[in-house]
Amino acid sequence: MRTLMILLALALSAVAVAEEVEFTAIDVYVQTDEPLAAWQFLLQERNGAMQVVGVENGESPAYTRAPYYDREAVNLGTADRIIVADYSLAKTADLPRGRVRIATLHLMLKSDLQPDFDISLVAAARPDGQHLDATISVEPTARKKP
Amino acid sequence: MNKRRSVHTVKLLSFLSGLAFVLIGCSQSLHDMQAEPAKAGTLEQVVVTASRAMSANTGFLHSFADIATDALALVAPGEEVWVIAKPATEVQSDDQVPGSGAMVAKLPGEQDTPKDVPLPLEHTSVNASINGYISTVDVRQRFGNPFSEKIEAVYMFPLPQDAAVSEFVMVIGERRIRGILREKEEAEAIYAEARSRGYQASLLLQHRPNIFEQKVANIEPGKTIEVDIRYFNTLAYNDGWYSFVFPTVVGPRFNPPGSTDPIGAVSRDKSKRGLPGKNVSYLRPNERSAHDIDITVDVQAGVPVEDLNASHEILTTESQFGSTVVTLKNKDTIPNKDFILNFRVAGDTIKSKLLTWVDPATNQGYFTMMMYPPAGIERLERRPVEIVFVLDCSGSMNGRPIEQAKGAVSAALGMLQENDTFQIIRFSDNASQFGSAPVQATAENIALARDYLRRLHGSGGTMMIEGVKTALNFPHDPERLRFVSFMTDGYIGNEVDIIAAVHNNIGASRIFSFGVGSSVNRYLLERMAKEGRGVVAYLGPKDSGRDIMSALFKRISHPAMTDLSIDWGNMSVSDVYPSKVPDMFVGRPVFITGRFLGEPDTVNVTGRVAGQTRMFAVDAADSAERNQEISKIWARLRIADLSDQQAWQRDPYGELATAILNTALQYQLMSAYTAFVAVDSSYVTEGDHGTTVHQAVPVPEGVRYDTTVEN
Repeated sequence: MRTLMILLALALSAVAVAEEVEFTAIDVYVQTDEPLAAWQFLLQERNGAMQVVGVENGESPAYTRAPYYDREAVNLGTADRIIVADYSLAKTADLPRGRVRIATLHLMLKSDLQPDFDISLVAAARPDGQHLDATISVEPTARKKP
Repeated sequence: MNKRRSVHTVKLLSFLSGLAFVLIGCSQSLHDMQAEPAKAGTLEQVVVTASRAMSANTGFLHSFADIATDALALVAPGEEVWVIAKPATEVQSDDQVPGSGAMVAKLPGEQDTPKDVPLPLEHTSVNASINGYISTVDVRQRFGNPFSEKIEAVYMFPLPQDAAVSEFVMVIGERRIRGILREKEEAEAIYAEARSRGYQASLLLQHRPNIFEQKVANIEPGKTIEVDIRYFNTLAYNDGWYSFVFPTVVGPRFNPPGSTDPIGAVSRDKSKRGLPGKNVSYLRPNERSAHDIDITVDVQAGVPVEDLNASHEILTTESQFGSTVVTLKNKDTIPNKDFILNFRVAGDTIKSKLLTWVDPATNQGYFTMMMYPPAGIERLERRPVEIVFVLDCSGSMNGRPIEQAKGAVSAALGMLQENDTFQIIRFSDNASQFGSAPVQATAENIALARDYLRRLHGSGGTMMIEGVKTALNFPHDPERLRFVSFMTDGYIGNEVDIIAAVHNNIGASRIFSFGVGSSVNRYLLERMAKEGRGVVAYLGPKDSGRDIMSALFKRISHPAMTDLSIDWGNMSVSDVYPSKVPDMFVGRPVFITGRFLGEPDTVNVTGRVAGQTRMFAVDAADSAERNQEISKIWARLRIADLSDQQAWQRDPYGELATAILNTALQYQLMSAYTAFVAVDSSYVTEGDHGTTVHQAVPVPEGVRYDTTVEN
């Protein structure tokens, strides 16, 4: 399986705070031409600046629940890595394809450290369980409307 | 049909400990792994549950929002304030009548209309799915803001004492943010930081195994935030009936002087003053909030449900999958007493069962075994017994609870044989007793005892420790089997002290604890029975004391199966809970949960009954994927066992605490040392963090406000 690794030093649009930490959110996108029935990615932050404080569902109606994360993220204490995954039992026609936001991660970052993100798509599958070609990327979340 | 196709085609290689964490068979490294069998049942259930939960998600504003708006306009930002719709007439103290309060109290001039109090919690929706004797329960709490400023909602609520809470999701519109389980202090710090900066956030804390606290920060005026909680637990089983219980309100606790970790019971007025510590805030009897509850229970017994009854009015339907679906008849039911659903499935005999699940990621096996007493032991006669009845005569028992308890004891006295002995001990602020030594169960003594009972009433505090010590240190006749029967609502805040006292003083006694009332402290009663190697029973408002006591005598009138030992066959078993296998009484199975390696087959159980050795076999019947909850249940039992050890064992190096924390984190469970936190960091609300509003709740049905709540 081809795993796409993207190294990012995001210019995060986090709310500036005077204290030691700041909150921000990042959107995770998958680009694929085929119907996306399941996916799993690994996000790491190399500088130990990240604590995940929430994992949100993406934009597709085929994925309405909150994605699941693995327990290793918490066991490591600083939660500087997290594995997130989800699957959908929707009809093939209803599964997302193209560029789709699959999740939003809510983060608390140490203000004095520049976050150094590393995201990789561990797996992506079609409805028949077969691998599909896809790329993954992250970008700062646009501020949500009230 | 699409679901079936998808289940077969998407390789779900691992559901990690109930997180339904999927690894997809498209990476090279995963191709070598074998696909799991289809899990259509589990997955479809998720869909059904989710859709039900969503259907209940319709926000609305309180009708009294305007009143609140006017009042809050006068308050400085951040100031602690409560907004109350002022009644036309001041309420007199004698309005605080026994009963649920909210439904039965009447205001002068408004005879049938309790006063509405604007509070954030609007609705609780409960969707439970029962498979065998394991239930998966989804709870959704909907918080709104009927005020004109931002608020933080704080709500103390109960869950079953054995609930393995493993999922927590904050829902804002269509957005679902899964909370992260962290060490408690860390989660609290994250929440506090998010709250102070205006982010919407939620925090779930555990104060007792059955008392939780939900905090939701920065709810904007007119907006709604929902919180989803999922837990697993096992059903109780008695005399052919399974019982599903969902508690809806925390009863008011009494905290003896010097309590180190009290749970206070305070009036709404008092809570708004920002009291330190942990407090449950109560509505006055003439008040009610908009909070109501709906409950749906899907009983997937695998065989027809033959009979059922419930504590509330219910509707029963048959689902398209053949299960029995039970719903509350009234969708606006006031949450002021436990919801209890009892059901019996087809078939005359309940067989012992061994359920297993193997984690595909680690090959670690988990099992739970229900051992049912072998047929025939109910024909054996008992030895003479000595029964000590211990009555809680504190203020919270005043009214119907104490009358029910007295009636039950009176009925029990009539069931004694003349060569039995008995004693009655009462406690409130102190303890006293009927006789100075075990009393022979003659007709004359029973008459005197009933007269003594008639004079007992409920008032004062709940110095339960006095009752426990008096009962367990009472002179014992070694020729008789000794049973200590506690009758209490368990409304105390020092449960740990009581559990430790039972552990340290139990001796040869067996404890039969009886929970009396509509919303009893089941955590305390279950733990007392566990430490006392006995069983627990509940005497609800509608129950007959005579029937409950008949059931008790049915158990103690026949020898229990004792000294149980288990040959696990091909299983290499470890970490079994309870660590000491209890006696097996007639009509009451014993549940054993543990971990294993190897291939389950037949398990042989050996025990002693009336001096004879008896043996029975339990087959490993089911190792289905749906049993994955067993790992959570096992972890929850391990946490409970470690917590119990903390009650009577010094933990100077924090080893027990560390073991609890590690277990909770590894299995993603709530505990005293972990908490769930979720933050929406994509949006900052305007202004200060707003006012903290404590969700006041009704006192449980049958409990008097004036004798239990601190004003």
